[in-house]
Amino acid sequence: MNGKRLSAVSSFLLVAATLLIVASLFFPWWKMEFFAPQYPEGLNIIVYPDKLEGEIDIVNGLNHYIGMANFSEENFPELQYLSYLIGGLAFLVLMTAIIRRKSFLYFVIGIFVIGGLLGVWDLNRWLKNFGTELDPMAPIKVDPFVPPIIGENTLANFVTYSHLGLGTYLVIAAFILLLIPLWKDRQK
Amino acid sequence: MKNWIPAATGLVAGVLAATVFFADFSSGPSGSATNDHANKTNAEKVYVPFGEKDEYYLMASGGHSGQMFIYGVPSMRHIRTVPVFSPDSATGYGFDKHTKELMGDYNWGDLHHPALSETDGDYDGKYLFATDVGNSRAAVMNLETFTTRDIIDVPNTSGPHCAAFVTQNTEYMFLPTRFAVPIGSEYASLDDYSEKYRGVMSAVTFDEENEKLNIAYQVALPPWSYDLSDAGKKMSADWAVMTTYNTEEATTNLEINASQADRDYIVLFNWKELEQKIQDGDYDEVTGQKMIFPEKHKGGIYLVPVAKSPHGVDVTPDGEHFIASGKLAPAMTVFSFQKAFDAIENEDFAGERNGIPIINYDSVMEREVDPENALGPLHTQFDDKGMAYTTMFISSEIVKWDPKTGETLDRVPVQYSPGHSVAAEGDTVNPDGKYLIALNKIAKDSYLSVGPSHPESMQLIDLTGDKMEVIQSAPVNPEPHYAQMIKADKIKTISIYEKEENNPLAAYNQEDTRIERKGNEVHVYGIAMRSKFIFDAKAERPDVIEVNEGDKVFIHLTNIDFDQDITHGFAINSYDLNMEVQPGQTNTIEFTANKAGTYPMYCTNFCSALHQEMTGYFLVKPKS
Repeated sequence: MNGKRLSAVSSFLLVAATLLIVASLFFPWWKMEFFAPQYPEGLNIIVYPDKLEGEIDIVNGLNHYIGMANFSEENFPELQYLSYLIGGLAFLVLMTAIIRRKSFLYFVIGIFVIGGLLGVWDLNRWLKNFGTELDPMAPIKVDPFVPPIIGENTLANFVTYSHLGLGTYLVIAAFILLLIPLWKDRQK
Repeated sequence: MKNWIPAATGLVAGVLAATVFFADFSSGPSGSATNDHANKTNAEKVYVPFGEKDEYYLMASGGHSGQMFIYGVPSMRHIRTVPVFSPDSATGYGFDKHTKELMGDYNWGDLHHPALSETDGDYDGKYLFATDVGNSRAAVMNLETFTTRDIIDVPNTSGPHCAAFVTQNTEYMFLPTRFAVPIGSEYASLDDYSEKYRGVMSAVTFDEENEKLNIAYQVALPPWSYDLSDAGKKMSADWAVMTTYNTEEATTNLEINASQADRDYIVLFNWKELEQKIQDGDYDEVTGQKMIFPEKHKGGIYLVPVAKSPHGVDVTPDGEHFIASGKLAPAMTVFSFQKAFDAIENEDFAGERNGIPIINYDSVMEREVDPENALGPLHTQFDDKGMAYTTMFISSEIVKWDPKTGETLDRVPVQYSPGHSVAAEGDTVNPDGKYLIALNKIAKDSYLSVGPSHPESMQLIDLTGDKMEVIQSAPVNPEPHYAQMIKADKIKTISIYEKEENNPLAAYNQEDTRIERKGNEVHVYGIAMRSKFIFDAKAERPDVIEVNEGDKVFIHLTNIDFDQDITHGFAINSYDLNMEVQPGQTNTIEFTANKAGTYPMYCTNFCSALHQEMTGYFLVKPKS
């Protein structure tokens, strides 16, 4: 019986994880910076769970030359519901802290892993769509490309750098906090 | 016993690491000495490498070009020409609706003395004022965008040379006139000059919120020529001074006839007192203006005798003295405000002239300063220690002297014939010292020859050493009458025009573009963006405007590239039209399609790799 319950310390860690997940809603999750000779200061696309920020209009204005679709909040339906999914996840973690059942923790970790993989898959899908579904009428023809989720890419006069945002790091930290109880309350 | 070993080795390792990382083994001068102004060569003092910016803005008057020239100091690089009183096709100034209205019916102006707006006697970097001696106007330029925002005609006056100067919180800009004319510029025989002509001074206020200039009141001064002026500071903040010549009231051959009297006057007036007169109704209404006639609405205006035909009059940074430059008399005269106030209080007058009391010269004069062989003193600026720098037009030099003792401290020749000079914030309560620029009237053989006539010349003088040193020369278009030099960090420009959601003329989305016909008027609400025009997104050809011959055409164009320096131009071939839309700006051009035919339109301001493709057609159907 005791082995199936989480300790008070673990419960506290789960509450901390909940707070981190909630906090992540207010920070960018992913970011792409664009540099060109004419833009040494860089242009940005900054993705929050519920909005886009950065010099989106300028990036769109430039991207139309290679026939790339517009970035806009309307084009990403995820932005409408992503914050609710993240909020739901936070709620589940909080529930785990309250009911303190290890089996429930396994379940939440599972959800967490699946959600994370889906997120990565979805982001990659978008990057692929944007980079490969180029308008054939575009004045400047470029070969289809898929920018990496993390890292550098060169396209015409632009070098782009993709990074994870603080929001993602907060969620990763929350995930680590979820794993600690497994080790801490392991069967001895 | 061996405890010292780890401590010592730690110390040694630390010193070694610090040496490796931080010591400078390079040869040659090092440390702060290379940054010391005194140790730099002249070339180093003026070189501003790419990536760095100049320390000061120089706003130089463009004289009869009708423009302002913006320079960087110390590089002396020309950064921008700002059209004010003259059209400028490069920026569409005088072509688009707003600037065409500003220009009125005039095609040129003679932009004389610029004045920066002030707060507590110091430049606040918000606005620049200037006057037009050619067509009697005043203008204000916004320094967020470096564009002209308002121009007003100044009635009853002709040629406000004696301006612009602002009071220490920009309450007023006063515009005394160079030429006397009858009130309303009506016809009057020159035989009646002394009776019917007046040298009217205007008190102009500036409404910052609406960016509008307005004439608060005018003063019908005697029919003399008013040359230069300055507002008081600190203890003299309510006062202003201006020089006069032709108090002889000559009406022909002024060169000779206006140079006969041994003394002319400085007009000293209390603008707070004049303001009170207006509030009390102590004025006459003339040509729609509130006009103070000094002989009738007495008080607040006094005359101070001064050596004949003075040019500049400049108030010291502490506000305690004003210095008149002799021009024809080879001397600068230092007057005391306090002594003038005492003389006024004690009615220490030597009679009246044209109904205005004359203060006894000896009661207000502090000292006459006459550097040996320095001829043609015109204009004085100040440094951070209160030292004066006076341009000598005839002996072609700058003389540095101490207003408190009259001692000459230094002299430096300039090429050639300086009119004004401008020191870093040199007419404020808080001059910076550092730099002075001689604004020379004649360049002659200074630069590569371009024929019989040459540009004017500006020379940068380093004030930081014991001796003044000319460290750079730069040609400048006609004509730098005066300039203002302001610390660069006081100027806060914008990089794009923000969206104005309530502007009915703007179209920020392609779906909002449209062409509307109202009778014989065609209203176009279009977009300029890299690299196309969209006048009607739903049309088969969105970049075409088709009208009928004789239609009145209104093209409202919004640049939706909210990106610094992505400016678009808009020209219609053979229609003599060109305008500019800066990033985020909406601009309007209005004209009548009076020529039938086919006229290509194109972007005139290189905007992108596909700028050449940024075109359209303006089709005018002939009347059947």
